[in-house]
Amino acid sequence: MKSFEWVSPTSLNDAVNLLKSAPAGDDADDVARAIAGGQDLLTTMKDYITRPTRVVNLKGIRGLDRIEGDARKGLRIGALVTLAQLEENTLVRSHFPGLAEAAHSIATPQIRNLGTVGGNLCQRPRCWYYRLEEVICLKKGGSKCYAAEGENKYNAILGGGPSYIVHPSDLAPMLVALGASVNVTGASGKRTIPLEKFFTLPSEGSIRRENVLQNDEIITEIQVPASSFAAHSTYLKFKERESMDFAISSVAAAVELSLAKVVKQSRIVLGGVAPIPWRATKAETYLTGKTLSADVLAETARVALDGAKPLAKNAYKVPLTQTLVRRALVKAGGMSA
Amino acid sequence: MQQQQAPPKKKKKIKVPKVINGVETMVEVEVDDEGGPVWGPNGKHAILNHRLTRVDAPLKVSGAAEYTYDKNPPGLLYGRVVRSPYAHARVIRIDTSAAQRIAGVKAIVGATNEDVVEGSNRAADVAEKKDNMDLGSAKAPQKKERIVRFAGEPVVAVAAITPEIADDAVRAIKIEYEVLPHVVRAEDAIKEGAPKVYPDGNLEPKEKRGDAAKVEASFKEADVIFEAEYRTPILHHSCLETHGNLVDYRGGDSATVYASTQGTFTIPGDAAKELGLKESAVTAVVEHMGGGFGSKFGIGIEGKFACQLSKQAKAPVKLMLTRKDEFLLAGNRSGSWQKFKAGVTRDGKVIALLATQYQLGGLGDGSQAGQPYIYTVPNFYRERISIHTNEDASRAMRAPGHPQASFGIESLMDELSYKVGIDPVEFRKKNLKDEVYHRQLDRGAREIGWERRNKTPGGGSNPLKRGMGCAIGTWGGGGGPQCKVEVGIARDGSVSVAVGTQDLGTGTRTYTRAIVAEELGLQINDVVEHIGNSKLGAANASGGSTTTASLAPAVKDAAVNARLSIAEKLSPLLGGAKPEEISFSQGRVAGGGKTLTWKQACAALPSAGITAHGEWKSNLQSRGVHGVCFAEVEVDVETGHTRAIKMVHVQDIGLPLNRLAIESQINGGMIQSLGMALFEGRVMDAALGLQLNPGFGDYKIPGSFEIPELVPLIDDEDKREAVIGVGEPSIIPAVGAVVNAVFNACGVRVRELPITPDKILMGLSDRRTV
Ligand SMILES: Cc1cc2nc3c(=O)[nH]c(=O)nc-3n(C[C@@H](O)[C@@H](O)[C@H](O)COP(=O)(O)OP(=O)(O)OC[C@H]3O[C@@H](n4cnc5c(N)ncnc54)[C@H](O)[C@@H]3O)c2cc1C
Ligand code: SF4
Repeated sequence: MKSFEWVSPTSLNDAVNLLKSAPAGDDADDVARAIAGGQDLLTTMKDYITRPTRVVNLKGIRGLDRIEGDARKGLRIGALVTLAQLEENTLVRSHFPGLAEAAHSIATPQIRNLGTVGGNLCQRPRCWYYRLEEVICLKKGGSKCYAAEGENKYNAILGGGPSYIVHPSDLAPMLVALGASVNVTGASGKRTIPLEKFFTLPSEGSIRRENVLQNDEIITEIQVPASSFAAHSTYLKFKERESMDFAISSVAAAVELSLAKVVKQSRIVLGGVAPIPWRATKAETYLTGKTLSADVLAETARVALDGAKPLAKNAYKVPLTQTLVRRALVKAGGMSA
Repeated sequence: MQQQQAPPKKKKKIKVPKVINGVETMVEVEVDDEGGPVWGPNGKHAILNHRLTRVDAPLKVSGAAEYTYDKNPPGLLYGRVVRSPYAHARVIRIDTSAAQRIAGVKAIVGATNEDVVEGSNRAADVAEKKDNMDLGSAKAPQKKERIVRFAGEPVVAVAAITPEIADDAVRAIKIEYEVLPHVVRAEDAIKEGAPKVYPDGNLEPKEKRGDAAKVEASFKEADVIFEAEYRTPILHHSCLETHGNLVDYRGGDSATVYASTQGTFTIPGDAAKELGLKESAVTAVVEHMGGGFGSKFGIGIEGKFACQLSKQAKAPVKLMLTRKDEFLLAGNRSGSWQKFKAGVTRDGKVIALLATQYQLGGLGDGSQAGQPYIYTVPNFYRERISIHTNEDASRAMRAPGHPQASFGIESLMDELSYKVGIDPVEFRKKNLKDEVYHRQLDRGAREIGWERRNKTPGGGSNPLKRGMGCAIGTWGGGGGPQCKVEVGIARDGSVSVAVGTQDLGTGTRTYTRAIVAEELGLQINDVVEHIGNSKLGAANASGGSTTTASLAPAVKDAAVNARLSIAEKLSPLLGGAKPEEISFSQGRVAGGGKTLTWKQACAALPSAGITAHGEWKSNLQSRGVHGVCFAEVEVDVETGHTRAIKMVHVQDIGLPLNRLAIESQINGGMIQSLGMALFEGRVMDAALGLQLNPGFGDYKIPGSFEIPELVPLIDDEDKREAVIGVGEPSIIPAVGAVVNAVFNACGVRVRELPITPDKILMGLSDRRTV
């Protein structure tokens, strides 16, 4: 990796100022970066895909590694909470089961021991072309998306263009489904951003980034509100290889049923198929007031994938994701398959 | 000594395998015709043919075992290579000035015409072809042109005081290229007007066999004629330790090379050439190594660079390839593209077969066993042809050419059996002469519960569908006369066995000890082995499963000589018993009505102890094995996911020296094969000519959750009292078994590996629309 300056501030203020004051690089990927668990940043640095002049260690800042709250108030998850902490937390497991499942589905135990929640939300894409040092595609400041015409088996079927990445985070779809928001501190102040507004499509935000964060901004906390459906949430992730894989497709689902087993409200968010966690709002609306019969499930799955535009090699993601939608709803609804 | 006093032996000529770059060729040697030691019945051994835990396990589990990677002599420099990002290009200019200015950079080689190290780790014949082409180039007649022919080809190498500085230096070296047209897809490479990989074109005929006219004629007698194409991608060896060497040369007249290699004795010569030393002045050390699978013979291009860097810097240089280098330039298993037309009769006899077998070895030739492989087809015609592309040259990989060939023919046989409505096992038997296959098929079928097999592929309403399949392979596994083994017994009772061979993780250390312990009536831990050093007795390189069949007979011979020699010395203490009648067992030496403990016996030896030597004996080994695999899988037809449930492999092997090691070999073969069937494959971008998945995140080898119940079965019906190498056969049939099980489960026939969920889902939707 390219040599860099390492700084380890102990306060949030110092951290954001260190991010702000770093010498400007030539390229958007040469600017200063925050590091938490390093499980993503280091891989991109080793391959010279990011070449930060300064790396700001967040691990020295106190108080960002706690999970607080309860079933009535909701959760407050510090940005430095590790994925292992999240999946093992009893409050999360009993009242926000989908979140524990999402954390558990990530990578390997070793990576979950180090990787953090904040880093998970801010990790960079896994598109093959993005990860090759030899290729300068649109996302890296080049002029072409190579995946569009090339090997796009794992790329987006929804919301793509001009870049067709899929967002790699497993926590993101689940947190969006649970209505979470992030607290952010920057050199010019604090703000709270609903997670649904946090991620940006390549056609909307900067093609060089996947979210609205400014370079000097740090996520400090993730807030997950209490809801009537959080306890009936689930995360279903499809991997080609169980032992370790990113989502080929995933579904974060939550449902609130009436006593008569009628859906009062639901959340369906798709992962691994779009540049952002893809909320299937139309399918949620369709589901309201229905019972989870086989026909209703099939129709919900169909509607959820409405508008999908597969590339040459990823049409299989449509039936695959439809299956996951049906299965996730069956599970969240507490039914047997 | 007994043996030296014996009258001169009758000689005979036999053919033995010689392994060059991991590929077997048969050569004739002269050996003793009779006499010499024998193993005795397979069931009568005290230590051998039992399950022995590997003697190096504590070292490996605790991390104490030192691999090349772990060696860090003082003053060490770290080497890195600069790779071409283009699949085909002419090197115009190399500017190293910026790199030279980086503090800590100590050597740069390959940038001037004097120290050019060219190409890839391709086989010798390919290198020659390329050289001719360079000389024939009209553009620069005086100066040797530098052309890179695949993306990843190393051009320059640097050495620096830390790996990170070396990495920065790699980026600081500016190489100007003239980009030339490339081709990386076989189907593009055979098109008219395709960019030429070699001057003669991209197609290179390798073999024609059989009578095409007869085959055409016998198609008329067939009840069913069936055509299909099968493809496998280029695969990677995925050794846990990447290729590399630590070359310790500080400018004197000798050097030491710590190598991650399958051939201790393939290193000194190669290194000496680069360093300008005598071969005998270079010592190769290979104490532990992290896997080779056929890809680690000779010092390799990375070793040549390391030698030159060390020579230039006058300091030790460790150049281990990065994982990405390893994918891009360390060789691979060739891909395959097989086209078949088969004629079969209603009663299940395959009577005619046409096969076009393309070997997709990139710059290399690739390999593929000839069809119809193990089957007996009265009329067949085959052509084997290499298709060249601008990709790194293929190398030997565990059973070169066999998994591809087995997958092709076993898929075909399976399809034919369904076409004529005959049980796949029965169908195979009808076309297999060798009774051993029949026996192994029956055993495998019993073990997996073949009768439970899905009667209608894809039938039933449950989305999780189970199915079973089987497939067959064959391998050689014989040895040759290269090993020189020394056994020493000291007066304190300690026993050592020394030979320069290497242990690839396959258990060489363990059986080397075990053979000596068995012969002297001791326990396995009473013997210490010294291996992995080119200053010890000669040994062959570990390719073609030849190690054990070459080494074990020589160890046995040395151990027998040691026993006879000590017995001769002890005879006076044991009532004058004849040396060959003195027994060695359970730590005791007995004869002439008297018994000594091992310690007492050794105390009676002369102060220098005893040294005995051993050589290869052809009668102690054999070659030619079969091997059958059965697999059960579960396919989720709504996600396309395939889960292996159980795999059974039946393997004949002659005398199993260490049953546990053999079972591990079989398990490992099944696992690697499962990777080939379901997960692995190099992905190339055709336009860029680049590999898209050069890392373990994206090149998916099976992990612990992917491993099914594994049942490795040693076929003890094989009564040969002879050692046969068995490192390779178990990787051959499992691929076909899994593929056929997937079809039996869900009714989708995947003809192009790996069987990933997209193929199952698209296959199902195609079938639905038909
Ligand atoms: C082999 C492998 C497999 C993986 N599999 C998965 C998977 O299946 N699913 C999945 O979701 N992920 C996976 N990952 C990605 C893994 O890196 C993340 O899941 C992990 O959570 C990242 O957290 P971290 O703390 O290590 O991030 P870091 O590497 O420290 O940071 C990642 C990015 O986030 C930024 N950042 C970190 N913390 C903050 C913060 N508080 N505020 C603002 N920016 C911040 C950094 O600047 C950097 O750009 C995998 C990674 C590897 C190497
Ligand atoms: S999908 Fe995005 S990251 Fe991938 S090649 Fe296209 S622009 Fe680059």
